[in-house]
Amino acid sequence: MEKTFNLPSHITTDKLKDLYKQMWLIRYFDEKVDQFFAKGLIHGTTHLCVGQEASAAGAIAALQDIDKITSTHRGHGHCIAKGARTDKMMAELFGRVTGYCKGKGGSMHIADLEKGNLGANGIVGGGIPLAVGAALTSKMKNEGYVVLCFFGDGASNEGSFHESLNLASIWGLPVVFICENNQYGMSGAAKDMINIPDIADRAGSYGIKGEVVDGNDLVEIINTVYDAVEDARDGNGPALIEVKTYRWKGHSKSDAKKYRTREEEQEWRSKDGIKRFKELLIEERVLTEELAEELQQEAKQEIEDAVRFAENSKEPSIDTLLEDVYA
Amino acid sequence: MANEVFMPKLSSTMETGTLLQWFKEEGDSVETGEPLFEIMTDKINIEVEAYDDGVLLKKYYDIDDEIPVNQIIAYVGQQDEVVPDTSPGISGNEINEEKELNESAVEETSVRIEEQSKVEPSEDVRATPAARRVARSNNILLNEISGSGPKGRVHVKDVNQVLIQRNDSRATPLAKKVSKAHQVSLESINGSGVNGKVMKNDVAKSIDRVSRVDPSIQTSQKRKLSGMRKVIADRMQESVNTAPHVTLTSEIDMKKVQELRKNLMKVVESHTGNRLSYTDIIIKATGEALSRHPAMNASLNDDEIVLNNSINVGLAVSLDEGLIVPVIQDVPSKGLREINDHAKRLAKNARNQKLQEDQLKGATFTVSNLGMYAVDAFTPIINLPQTAILGTGRIQEKPVVVDQEIEVRPTMAVSLSFDHRAIDGAPAAAFLTELKQILENPYELLA
Amino acid sequence: MRELTYLEAVREAMSQEMRENNDVFLLGEDIGVYGGAFGVTRGMIEEFGPERIRNTPISESAITGGAVGAALTGMRPILELQFSDFITIAMDQLTNQAAKLRYMYGGKGSVPMVLRTPAGSGTGAAAQHSQSLEAWVAHIPGLKVVQPSTAYDAKGLLKAAIDDDNPVIFYEHKLLYKTKCEVPEEPYTIPIGKADIKRSGGDVTIVATAIMVHRALEAAEKLVKEGIEVEVIDPRTLVPLDEETIVESVKKTGRVVVVHEAVKRGGYGGEIASMIAESEAFDFLDSPIKRLGGLPVPIPYNPKLEKATVPQVDDIVEAVKETIRFK
Repeated sequence: MEKTFNLPSHITTDKLKDLYKQMWLIRYFDEKVDQFFAKGLIHGTTHLCVGQEASAAGAIAALQDIDKITSTHRGHGHCIAKGARTDKMMAELFGRVTGYCKGKGGSMHIADLEKGNLGANGIVGGGIPLAVGAALTSKMKNEGYVVLCFFGDGASNEGSFHESLNLASIWGLPVVFICENNQYGMSGAAKDMINIPDIADRAGSYGIKGEVVDGNDLVEIINTVYDAVEDARDGNGPALIEVKTYRWKGHSKSDAKKYRTREEEQEWRSKDGIKRFKELLIEERVLTEELAEELQQEAKQEIEDAVRFAENSKEPSIDTLLEDVYA
Repeated sequence: MANEVFMPKLSSTMETGTLLQWFKEEGDSVETGEPLFEIMTDKINIEVEAYDDGVLLKKYYDIDDEIPVNQIIAYVGQQDEVVPDTSPGISGNEINEEKELNESAVEETSVRIEEQSKVEPSEDVRATPAARRVARSNNILLNEISGSGPKGRVHVKDVNQVLIQRNDSRATPLAKKVSKAHQVSLESINGSGVNGKVMKNDVAKSIDRVSRVDPSIQTSQKRKLSGMRKVIADRMQESVNTAPHVTLTSEIDMKKVQELRKNLMKVVESHTGNRLSYTDIIIKATGEALSRHPAMNASLNDDEIVLNNSINVGLAVSLDEGLIVPVIQDVPSKGLREINDHAKRLAKNARNQKLQEDQLKGATFTVSNLGMYAVDAFTPIINLPQTAILGTGRIQEKPVVVDQEIEVRPTMAVSLSFDHRAIDGAPAAAFLTELKQILENPYELLA
Repeated sequence: MRELTYLEAVREAMSQEMRENNDVFLLGEDIGVYGGAFGVTRGMIEEFGPERIRNTPISESAITGGAVGAALTGMRPILELQFSDFITIAMDQLTNQAAKLRYMYGGKGSVPMVLRTPAGSGTGAAAQHSQSLEAWVAHIPGLKVVQPSTAYDAKGLLKAAIDDDNPVIFYEHKLLYKTKCEVPEEPYTIPIGKADIKRSGGDVTIVATAIMVHRALEAAEKLVKEGIEVEVIDPRTLVPLDEETIVESVKKTGRVVVVHEAVKRGGYGGEIASMIAESEAFDFLDSPIKRLGGLPVPIPYNPKLEKATVPQVDDIVEAVKETIRFK
């Protein structure tokens, strides 16, 4: 088995099953959120990562527990993969006091500092310098952790991306930049906005390694990220990994997706990373169809429970409004 | 146009009146001569009658309000006539009134009942917030102040100037003198007179206010110093503060007065229906003594000592509400019978609050008798502007030496307080000696 | 007692904190052997080394965000921005990250960082190097804003800022760097949010910030010759603002002039004036609240024009007289 997958040693058979279930958790979570939005039960806005599960699950699977991540507005998957409880996440989206941010953050701002999740971010490219700063702490305090910094193709056109890659590079910081290229920055197609085929090539400008991986190939993602993370942990500085993926849903809740075709969507759906991983696990006899079904149902049930938890939770008291502006 | 109802000025000294009751409510019809309300002045309670026919349109004051004379306190007019929401102030200020009425006629079709602040600076006066605050707290109307700022904006300095002027012109000369002597700022004193005029009493009160309050004293009830009590308080304070009192005492053998009284009792009673009292005799004797010592029958008005021709003796009568001093006019011309008659009637009227204004006026000397109590002597306080007062104590059987023998005689202590500004010790002593001689030989009163 | 310049006081506060606390470090452009654009950090790299005196590339977004990320993960960074005008490039990281993380995350995490930056005109550096943009940051809930006017205040307030668990924007005025006053050697703290009455007087209150404190004091000396006693209040911190001290003073004097160098339109003086108008001091005002601030023009290069752009001593004298004059 190890030969086939050639995976890092901490990815045990049980961990593979967990990852399979985790990808379903991510998908069911966001599909549920999609439904609730449609019904008007969740307000504001949200960005779904359905179709990008392998990127989140794979990249984070490569980490050690002490490692940290910074996430994006499309961050539910990262959050679940980094070990967040789906019930507290759902409660946050419902704006309830039991949510990760006591109902004050919502979809774009879930953070789970205890698990090393430094938070999602509503500003495109906003989290990249934060990851650099966290990596600086690791280096200065000799804490041994690596920071995995998620952002999208759109953010790679932000100044903060370039400044941060450069800064991390010159300081040799333990940070790995994960560019989840899901082909669109809102309606802007990456091919129209970036005049090179691979964003990973931008790494060369800053003297760091750049890699491209298939966003639906969980094993490749784990292995590639793992190598970069451990390299960074060894003091060899940052890397940029571009994960080619696709968001099945629109940018946010009110996206008619006029900028792309049904055919294109269908093509990417056929490459579904969850299905692909399941086939692999069955092939490698880690899973049976029955067990796979069981795991999938467990995931589904967990999300149902999360919804119930959220629905039964209280709204924050108005008295808490002014709390936590300052420490 | 609606007719003003105002606080009448019932005496030359009256500055405010206290509203005791309304006989009519807003909306009631009123006929000329019908009692409209009752007030209490420093001297009497009086029912004030309506001067006009019509409907009581608006009352601006409540029971117990102390109201300056001439202040408009109500309007009587035709149903639906429009009147101001708050008292327009002093009656007779035609322009102001006219303006107010016109303004409210435009704005309103009916009288608004709701309570409003008595002093509300008109909206269109330009004034700084600080000026408004100071004016508000001192009951000054902003539109009475000429502002020194741009476009007449009133600044706090302008308000303060008015305050100083008011304190200056609206303090009695005496108040100013006392305040100066005690280094008390008039600005800090709330005047009790008309439009906040600072009276000497106000100054006196402020001087010893600090020492009066003692938190360790537990009180069972509190009563506002108002009405007659307040008048007495003010009067007494004024007297003590301005007149340097000297009190002389003497002991009088009342044996012959006792005899005289006994002998005349029946005669007087048959005429007046009243028992002849010691007080009657004392009043008569006092009148006689005063006629022989006219310096004691004087008034001190500002800087003038006025020797009074008539000898009118005030008689202090104690009521539940306080002290009242009806006057027996021209005592020397009256016999004991007349004095008895007058004194009893006055006392009775006083107790029934039926005294007429003129029955309280014109005393030139006062007698205060506490002989019905176990009081030997006391130091009476002069009723200004009079210059002396006689206090009489009880008549008591005492051993006295008469012709080298000890005898038991009815004796009475008398105290004479006099205002040393007007009278010196010797003439006062001579007067008291004269009185003692008269009372020890009272038959000369019949002469 | 010995005297220190404002600049030395700032340096001493930082050095003393860095000797006490290894988590405190400095980052910024040209702060190494160069000693910073104004020489504030001169000699510090020699004492603390390049790890803790971090010379950065010219990347305001990345270094600001880096400071935020480091603060969020346990460091206490002091970021020097060469000129406060450059805060525009750091603004996303300050406004959307530093100020908001704690609240968005439901009270989790804190951002104990200080952003020090020299502000103000008077150096002939023209439009892009002379601004006073403190109102920008004062507007943002979650940031604290400090503006010391003396060496003594600078040292005590900087220690308080470094010890504070919130992002603090610490404005230094270029023209004050060379001013001297008595400064104790031992470390001390001036609480953030406490105004200082720099001069007592009963006729007019002047609320002045930064360089204007000194101009107001000069104006006060002139006015006293005309029998006008001015009270000069230096808020020292704009956020939180010591409203009580200002209100009490205005209640005493009934007249107030608010003066700052920043452009009057939209300047923080408007906030102070409104606060006074809304407070119980309103009823004590005997003339309109007077504001003095910079003219609504970019700071010009020509020294005569530059001087005419921002309030000078005579402007303050005139403003005070205007509040006293009735006509």
